[in-house]
Amino acid sequence: MASYFSPQYLALLLPATVGLYAITPHRARRVILLLASYVFFWAVSGSLIVYLLFSTLSIHHLGLWLELTARNGKEKLALAESDQRKAIRAGIQRQQRGIILLAVVIHIGLLLTLKYSHFFLSNGNALLRFLHMPAILPVPSFLLPIGISFYTLQAVSYLIDVYRGKIPADHNLFRLALFLGFFPQMMEGPICRYEQTAQRLWEAPPMCWNNFLLGGQRILWGIIKKMVVADRLNIFILNVFSDYDQYNGSIIAVAAICYTIQLYMDFSGTIDVALGSAQLFGVALPENFQRPFFSRTISEFWQRWHITLGTWFKDYIFYPVSMSKPMKKLTSKARKRFGPRYGPILTSSVALLCVWLCNGLWHGSAWNYIFFGLYHFALIFAGNLVQPLVLTVTERLHINRNHIAYRLMQTLRTCILVCIGELFFRAEGLKNGLKMAWRMVTDWSFTPILKGNLFAYGIDGPDTVLVVLFLVLLLVVGILQERGVKLGEALVSKSWPVRIAVYYAATCFLVIFGAYGIGYIPVDPIYAGF
Amino acid sequence: MVKIAKTLLGLAAFAMGLLVILYGLSFLFVPKNNTKDAGMEEIYANGIQGEPPNSIDVVVVGDSESYSSISPLHIWKTTGYTSYVCGSGRQYLSYSKTLLERAFETQSPKLVILETLCIYRQIPAKTVVMDEVSRYLPILRYHDRWKVMTREDFSPTDGNSYTTPYKGYRHNNKVSGADTSNYMAQTEKIASIPLVNRLLVKQIQELCEANGAKLLLLSTPSTVNWNYQRHNGIQELADELDLEYIDLNTKPQEVPIDWSTDTYDRGDHLNYSGSRKVSQFLAKYLEGTQMFSDRRGDSKYASWNTLLQDYEAKVEKAS
Amino acid sequence: MEQLLEILEEIRPDLDFVGCQDLIDGHHLNSLDIISIVAEIEDAFDVTVPTVEVIPHNFNSAQNLWAMIQRLQEEG
Repeated sequence: MASYFSPQYLALLLPATVGLYAITPHRARRVILLLASYVFFWAVSGSLIVYLLFSTLSIHHLGLWLELTARNGKEKLALAESDQRKAIRAGIQRQQRGIILLAVVIHIGLLLTLKYSHFFLSNGNALLRFLHMPAILPVPSFLLPIGISFYTLQAVSYLIDVYRGKIPADHNLFRLALFLGFFPQMMEGPICRYEQTAQRLWEAPPMCWNNFLLGGQRILWGIIKKMVVADRLNIFILNVFSDYDQYNGSIIAVAAICYTIQLYMDFSGTIDVALGSAQLFGVALPENFQRPFFSRTISEFWQRWHITLGTWFKDYIFYPVSMSKPMKKLTSKARKRFGPRYGPILTSSVALLCVWLCNGLWHGSAWNYIFFGLYHFALIFAGNLVQPLVLTVTERLHINRNHIAYRLMQTLRTCILVCIGELFFRAEGLKNGLKMAWRMVTDWSFTPILKGNLFAYGIDGPDTVLVVLFLVLLLVVGILQERGVKLGEALVSKSWPVRIAVYYAATCFLVIFGAYGIGYIPVDPIYAGF
Repeated sequence: MVKIAKTLLGLAAFAMGLLVILYGLSFLFVPKNNTKDAGMEEIYANGIQGEPPNSIDVVVVGDSESYSSISPLHIWKTTGYTSYVCGSGRQYLSYSKTLLERAFETQSPKLVILETLCIYRQIPAKTVVMDEVSRYLPILRYHDRWKVMTREDFSPTDGNSYTTPYKGYRHNNKVSGADTSNYMAQTEKIASIPLVNRLLVKQIQELCEANGAKLLLLSTPSTVNWNYQRHNGIQELADELDLEYIDLNTKPQEVPIDWSTDTYDRGDHLNYSGSRKVSQFLAKYLEGTQMFSDRRGDSKYASWNTLLQDYEAKVEKAS
Repeated sequence: MEQLLEILEEIRPDLDFVGCQDLIDGHHLNSLDIISIVAEIEDAFDVTVPTVEVIPHNFNSAQNLWAMIQRLQEEG
């Protein structure tokens, strides 16, 4: 079972789970979900399931420990004299921070060891060689449990929320295990918060026809996105990114755009399958995309793309850093020095830099990911800096910033900047990414595209027409969604002949226009690798 | 309970409807004949559909080993028996079965030869499912033809027209000698055959029996692909299914392959000179079975003689 | 409340803080604005805004923000 699109998942595990869930009496339903989750994990990662079991136990334990510390502290506080309270409070906080530190050391430490030791040690060796010393660091390679990057963030957010007193620690090991290991979210997220899903999963609501339809049609939509578009573009992208020096800069630019489309179709398609799967059981996972390519700025883009990762970084890195005591001091100093407009930019930039380094590294242990993070940091930072200037200039020139043309220009600019970023994201190493970007500047000519040479590299005319038409469809869907139309629910509320006709049409569309079988190489799930 | 039954019934009806639609659409997507232009895949292997009905005595299925080592025209020249090689590169057993089913639609061979290298080729789960399902819903195999559809696709089949000049044999007379140092070293070890493949061999056996054909397992010579573990594995399977098995790798006297001259890619495949030796052996073998009659004098098979002249002029002269 | 609205309008003169109920969910305020707002209200109302309080609900409208400030003042 390599992905949510594999026949084993769609034709075996998911229907079997749904069937069992539907006929099982209420209290046993949650057991079905947990069992299915472990079967899924085992089918993907085999004996590495030990990792999941160990970390679930440890997170459960650490959560209880945090709570116990807080309760003991409160008792002490109640008995203490008022002048001692401050010391006691500080003591509790120290202790709790110790626990959090321990948790972070265990979990992030495991993540770092499994995922990053190769990167750091091989770069260490490169440094040693550079200094004319023998490269002696052993470079290990580990098998990664599936979805470890997503899982770790979810686990850490639970513990920090307990520490902050936002949620009580969960005494029920199985509820926590289900929250951490629920199979639709396991591989590529969304990264859920405890208060979003844990209780609902534990309730294991009865199957209901409405949710079944909503979930089913969303799964179908996700498969269409992935198989019709992402897989169709794959060979072309593979060709250009592996042998970029064979291609003109314009072809590389087209490939960067295609990759951005592919990444969106693959990732958001997977998320559709994940959210649809959860919806079958009446569980609403948080949305991860909100028409990202409608964004007017890079910072808005990141509020609409991989939303659960963005909010995770915001809540657990950006605000804690920017609101820490030294940073607050820095803010007020900077405000006095540079004024209320530019002052906060300085502090927020420090926090932003932390976020984007983490974001880059989270995607993978390679220099091109770090570059990708810093690229977006630079864009957002620059955006913050020039924003007041833009406001003044547009005001002076009487440009209406809400005019459709101005907004379209902003959106187009944002999309282009995103595509450039994704070029580095996809490139095989930072060096290749830079070389590809260099080719786009130095070796540019429109003739290869105009002469149709594009069609010799793994994509043909009909493919192009199909992809473009599908993007237009997506645009229409996106505009409707922006206006608040809930298409899924609108379809479910239609009469059954209409619904069935739509389902039949969509399935036939998938069967005919899906890029599968001879001549196609389906794309591996991109985000599951992170 | 009633509610669940009703739901299940509804879902089943929905699925049935979908299958009917896809089955109907399949007529649109199936290639209208076996030519490349019509969208047929593996036209060499499917060229047998262009042969006159019931004109082929022996059908061979298998991967590249089969089409590089067996030459039906050579067998014709020696014996007057007709044969056809339904061979395709890296053939999966599930596709071998499909090819045989298609062949049996118009032909009634008395003997089917399965080249054994396919039996060791691991088939991806997806491919097995696709090959099995697309037997009934061909749209799954031919869906990509939406790109090239024309008005003719909306009319009924216009009959198969294509057949390969050399009856599935693919000629190659390059020479690149092989290293034979470890070739067919004796051992008791047995290379295991994937379970799915065992089942498929059994299904192919049943398919042949149902159509009145005998199934023969044949290992053609190859230093790269064959060894004694595999020989033992196929022998075990043949004993289990009660099939006849001939391993030419163990018959250097009868098929005297000279590995310095008889292969075009260092022992992976035989070249023309090697294929002559294998075909000569098969001709003898087929004669020995006394199952077939010499058709060289039969006017219905005159085209074979014309092809043979062409074959001798082009292929034999080239060597 | 008056004072709060003044602060808010100074930071983002282009927004209508009296009526708007989805400052965060509607993507009207960005993180930079939030840092500024926190810094300003900490100065003006002599409170400390802990990270836990930086959630969309508290920043979605001026009313919610005011409620948070009052709560923090009481907790002292």
